[in-house]
Amino acid sequence: MTTDPSAPNSPDPAPGSMGIRQALREIRKGAIVVWWAFFDWVAVVQWKALFLVSVLGMVIGGGIFKVATLTFLLIVAAFIIKIVAGGKRRAELTASEATQRAETEQLERAVMEARMQALQAQIEPHFLFNTLASIDQLILSDPPRASKMQQSLIRYLRSAMPQMREGGRPTLGQQVDLSSAFLEIMAVRMEERLQPVMHVPEGLKSAIFPSMMLQTLVENAIKHGLEPQAAGGRLEIRAEVVDGQLAVHVIDTGRGFAPKADGGVGLANIRERLRTLYNGRAELIISVPTEGGTCATIKVPYEIAPAASAT
Amino acid sequence: MNASSASAAAPTAVIADDERLMRVQIVARLKEAWPELEIVGEASNGLEAVAMVRSLEPDIVFLDISMPEMDGIQAAKALAGQVHVVFVTAYDQHAVTAFEQGAVDYLLKPAEPERVALTCQRLRERMQRKPDPMEDILEKLSQRLGAGGGGGAIGPREYMRWVQASVGANIRMIPTSDILFFRAEDKYTRVQTTTFEALIRKPIKDLLDELDPGEFWQIHRSTVVRIDAVEQVSRNFAGKQVVHVKGSGEKLEVSRTFNHLFKQM
Repeated sequence: MTTDPSAPNSPDPAPGSMGIRQALREIRKGAIVVWWAFFDWVAVVQWKALFLVSVLGMVIGGGIFKVATLTFLLIVAAFIIKIVAGGKRRAELTASEATQRAETEQLERAVMEARMQALQAQIEPHFLFNTLASIDQLILSDPPRASKMQQSLIRYLRSAMPQMREGGRPTLGQQVDLSSAFLEIMAVRMEERLQPVMHVPEGLKSAIFPSMMLQTLVENAIKHGLEPQAAGGRLEIRAEVVDGQLAVHVIDTGRGFAPKADGGVGLANIRERLRTLYNGRAELIISVPTEGGTCATIKVPYEIAPAASAT
Repeated sequence: MNASSASAAAPTAVIADDERLMRVQIVARLKEAWPELEIVGEASNGLEAVAMVRSLEPDIVFLDISMPEMDGIQAAKALAGQVHVVFVTAYDQHAVTAFEQGAVDYLLKPAEPERVALTCQRLRERMQRKPDPMEDILEKLSQRLGAGGGGGAIGPREYMRWVQASVGANIRMIPTSDILFFRAEDKYTRVQTTTFEALIRKPIKDLLDELDPGEFWQIHRSTVVRIDAVEQVSRNFAGKQVVHVKGSGEKLEVSRTFNHLFKQM
């Protein structure tokens, strides 16, 4: 809200009067700056302070420098400004301040989110090498299956690599596709030790859901829940809308959560990202189902992606 | 069957890997590289591998490193000196480095036929001697792989990172970083976070043994507070120190025993 009074003054200054004209322009500029500073101060200052300054001004201006009339006029002007424009000007100032703060915050948030996504997006080399080893074996023993598994791997890599992700806000559908490709691969490798179950209604697939979070939960469920258990178990992905919130659950019948497990970087990362992305309107909850195992739930505000990016 | 019973010296091996495809692969490659080697058993986890080796007494065991129940390193420890061990892994950079330094044999998945042939060659030589217990290297490995390997690894003291508590009808795992304070209330201990409270049965005294003393401080017989959640400490009308907790209106009294914690610097 700074004023810009670079008015189209004199058209074409003569070379001789250049100095004077410029000086005058500078003085004018200076006066305007001083005036607006005074205006802003009057607008935001408290009434009590304004009153005190006025009294002081009367004493100094009227009593010592003998310019009582000028001081008095200035004070009257100040009070009129305060009454007429004070509220509006003050609101304007706070508004611009708030916008500025919001912009910085948003920027900070975006930077943070980008950084965290990069962290999150690391593809487990363990997974990659084991999968390639399995494909290598299937090429000999079951070529059609090898081809299918390789296609799943390509689908997984396409959506898991950060630089290959599509622009725009990620949808739950994309995230579920990524995790199903991963689960298809794991099901070939773990055989009867992994039973994946999907309960994601078609209608929820266009909902906005942050990238790689579902995948982190799925990987955790396998790595810490099912893989360490000789018998393996079931892994269920379930999505629903509860009270305007999209809740996505990853439930496994695995080993359960160890209270001393440090929870890994993965969960801490999800929490932190939810905080930066949703500012308290989203959460990650880890609970223990009655039949054992682990249930991890991410709740975010339910938002539908714009039609264009939903395809 | 005939061949093995005919010559008592026919070498035998057990294969342990949690993925069947990988067992199929290694069996096939071994058959090509060493036709006389008889695969007497296949195990799908560490415990099974140990039991199988003890009952079948093979000359060699191929152990996958990451397996359920008991990982390959732990299994090798349990079988130290009883059998010749070859580790198998798809990707364990730490382990591979250690194997190379300690001259322990290993195979990378997918196993290349030439590499398998080399391993078999070395095994024939190794079998002239008694199995090496590999104590030092296994100790080093289980420490390095501790977190990922699971089960029985020796590491630094571990503190509680999650509190299991009932919230309504559910049992929730609350990360300790979300907890503001614990407070003893009658028979229960109240767990307070910024958004909810929960009750647990574990008394303060027991909690103190498990919580990280760098994260939580006891400030009263019945109160333990997370240090990062302390906003400020003031004195109340009675001159007692009172802790103000971020995100909670509650003020927690500091008993005299713990006054020293909040002394001015």
